[in-house]
Amino acid sequence: MSDAEHRWERIRNGLLWIVIPLILGGLLSSALIPQPVVGVIRLEDAIYSYSAQNMIKQIQYAIDAPEVHAVVLVFDSPGGTVVDTEAVYMELTRLREKKPVVTAINAMAASGAYYLSVNTDYIYAKPTSLVGNIGVIGYLPPAPFVVEDIITTGPYKLWGAPRDSDMRQVEMVKQGFFEAVKIGREGKLTAGDEVVFSGQIWAGTDAVRLGIADAIGTERDAAEKAAELAKIANYKVLDLAGPAGIATGGSFFFIQSPDGMMNLPYPNEAGIFLLYIPPLPVK
Amino acid sequence: MKKQFIYIALAALILPSLLRGLWFHRGVPQRPEIATPDFASFAAPEAPVNSSAAGDADNVKEMGGTVVMDLIHGNQFAMNEIESLTRAIKARGGNVENLTDSTSLEYLLRYASAFITVSPSYSFTVYETQLLKRFADRGGRILVFTDATRNSIYYDFISGNPIAYGDANAANSLLSAFDMSVNNDYLYDTEKNEGNFRNVLFDEFGKSELTFGLKQVALYGLRSVESPSGLVLFQAADTTRSSTNDAHDPGQGGAALNAEENVAAIGDFTFLSAPYNAYTDNATLIANLADFALGGEQSQTLANFPFLFSGESVQVFVSPDLIKTTELVSALSGLQSSLRFMDVEVEFVDDVPTSGDVIIIGSFEATEEIEPFAKKFDVEFDGGDYITTVEFGEIGRYGNGILMLDATTRGNTLVLLADTPDDVIALIGLVNGGSLYTCLTSDKVAVCGIGYGGDYYSEPQEEDPPAEESTEGSEGEPEAEATATPSG
Repeated sequence: MSDAEHRWERIRNGLLWIVIPLILGGLLSSALIPQPVVGVIRLEDAIYSYSAQNMIKQIQYAIDAPEVHAVVLVFDSPGGTVVDTEAVYMELTRLREKKPVVTAINAMAASGAYYLSVNTDYIYAKPTSLVGNIGVIGYLPPAPFVVEDIITTGPYKLWGAPRDSDMRQVEMVKQGFFEAVKIGREGKLTAGDEVVFSGQIWAGTDAVRLGIADAIGTERDAAEKAAELAKIANYKVLDLAGPAGIATGGSFFFIQSPDGMMNLPYPNEAGIFLLYIPPLPVK
Repeated sequence: MKKQFIYIALAALILPSLLRGLWFHRGVPQRPEIATPDFASFAAPEAPVNSSAAGDADNVKEMGGTVVMDLIHGNQFAMNEIESLTRAIKARGGNVENLTDSTSLEYLLRYASAFITVSPSYSFTVYETQLLKRFADRGGRILVFTDATRNSIYYDFISGNPIAYGDANAANSLLSAFDMSVNNDYLYDTEKNEGNFRNVLFDEFGKSELTFGLKQVALYGLRSVESPSGLVLFQAADTTRSSTNDAHDPGQGGAALNAEENVAAIGDFTFLSAPYNAYTDNATLIANLADFALGGEQSQTLANFPFLFSGESVQVFVSPDLIKTTELVSALSGLQSSLRFMDVEVEFVDDVPTSGDVIIIGSFEATEEIEPFAKKFDVEFDGGDYITTVEFGEIGRYGNGILMLDATTRGNTLVLLADTPDDVIALIGLVNGGSLYTCLTSDKVAVCGIGYGGDYYSEPQEEDPPAEESTEGSEGEPEAEATATPSG
């Protein structure tokens, strides 16, 4: 065999045994080891059935999708209904058991939104984000009376509950919220219960000082923190609304002004809420 | 040789995955155990129902009396909200009369045992405050209820922001006369409360008939009250704070009493409504409030006129020197009707009774029946044309009448005296009218100008000039009649 033939033989073997496996390995690795994803779930609305279901779909997607290694929750929400908040809270717990979750607060994470925040591994806020408002707000039903044209089978069929019972139920909901905060922020709170549970809403810098939030930071900081906790690098950030199949739209949670132009900050039905109701806007 | 190639091929196959794994991953994350609240363990706080609470209508003592309920100061309540209190008052034989116009206040306070105002939104006028101050000075009692949850909401014209106007300012317009005040705040306690931070429990009490038998009361959305010279009835715990400054002030409480112990201010009235009236010792408190309201006994003075008699009947003695003419009988029948209107029966007697409620009617010709009263009140009739009184000096004998009130534990005696039978009749007529507005009054003695006198008829009258002369120079115009006066 001539030298030329030997050279060709080595090239051929190199191609056959090294380059082709490398190419195949590269292709295989892309399939087996996808680029890790830090998923982003946004809540830029009150928490009610529609927005909560959207969040839950994204959380479930994040749980099931192997490429999603961590999740950033981005909040701009005043909170909302109790049951929808609890539903998201429970799904978040399932997610956190598998993957780290970090909160990034934009304008506001108040009341129910903060309830969800404490069920994450780290909380970032902007310097003037509104954070906190830990507590429950309830609109008591009216004192019962009978209506000529409405026939019911019991004194509270129309009104749901005696006013006094509703007040006590608010207190029970409060216990769950307060406990969630104590557990979620264990060892981090620098203020006493009388401050933390006073219902105040703080600016981000104050929230960090009190241990209500962990640090001042952006969504990018939150993604980096999530990646650090998930021990990933060179990740991509992906909004999970698309992959989870979230449709845009929604229903109205807040009361509309008579001209339909403005969402007034009051829920459109009575009940018990984990909700921050800001002062009415300046005319 | 071939084996080596297979190893190389395998290494080449794995290498990208290895590199990719190292490129993307920095280790294996360990997830901590995620703790969550034990939701099933949470329970709503139970209502502190007190089934052995007082207030049972069968076990209350008959007290009687009238309580005036203020309805003229934009009071922010409905009657059914304070029904437990009005029911307790009625169970004690008391009567609740509503004040529906300001002109009636002075009249109602003459016979009331207590005045109650609930969450007023309009201030008390200076005149009303003076009336109520005098009422309290006479021994009447005042209950002022406020409530932090009762506000009139207005909207700022510029910002549109809601502004709440509560009842504190209006209540203070009255309470300031008694060195008391209610603060424009609400009290709260986040540690020890009744179902909610704004429902404050009190278990330290100032010693008073209002706090008798209380171990714990709950007030619901209350304002803090103060009484610097008096007594804080419900003392706030150290953990109870005012919304004004989120601080505890030992000088503030849920209820307070003035120094004279006849004016009470309570920062809440929600505890009067069901179901809160049955929680803790609130029913006992309500019973105490009813006792307090009906326990006011005004010292009888002529300011209470015509409500001078508390018994069911009054004995009327007419001095023998007065002949019961048709006119006098008519006047006496008017007196009888007036007293019956107040549920007081009249019994005419021939001798001055020694006990019970009595009206003595006579003339200035002092008889043995009149003399003791004249002596007691330093009234002298023997000064010729004048009567001498301590309170008003010398009073013209003619055309004036005198009232004297002798209030004793045996009963109240009202003495009516005038110069002539006609003046006596006029004086009875004035008394029948139910007002002493035309009289000079002190607590026990009044002098009333009744406009007539025996002298009026005995004085010579100037003859009217002839009609022709009087119309001279004023043809066609009516001439004013001369007004007769006692002196002519």
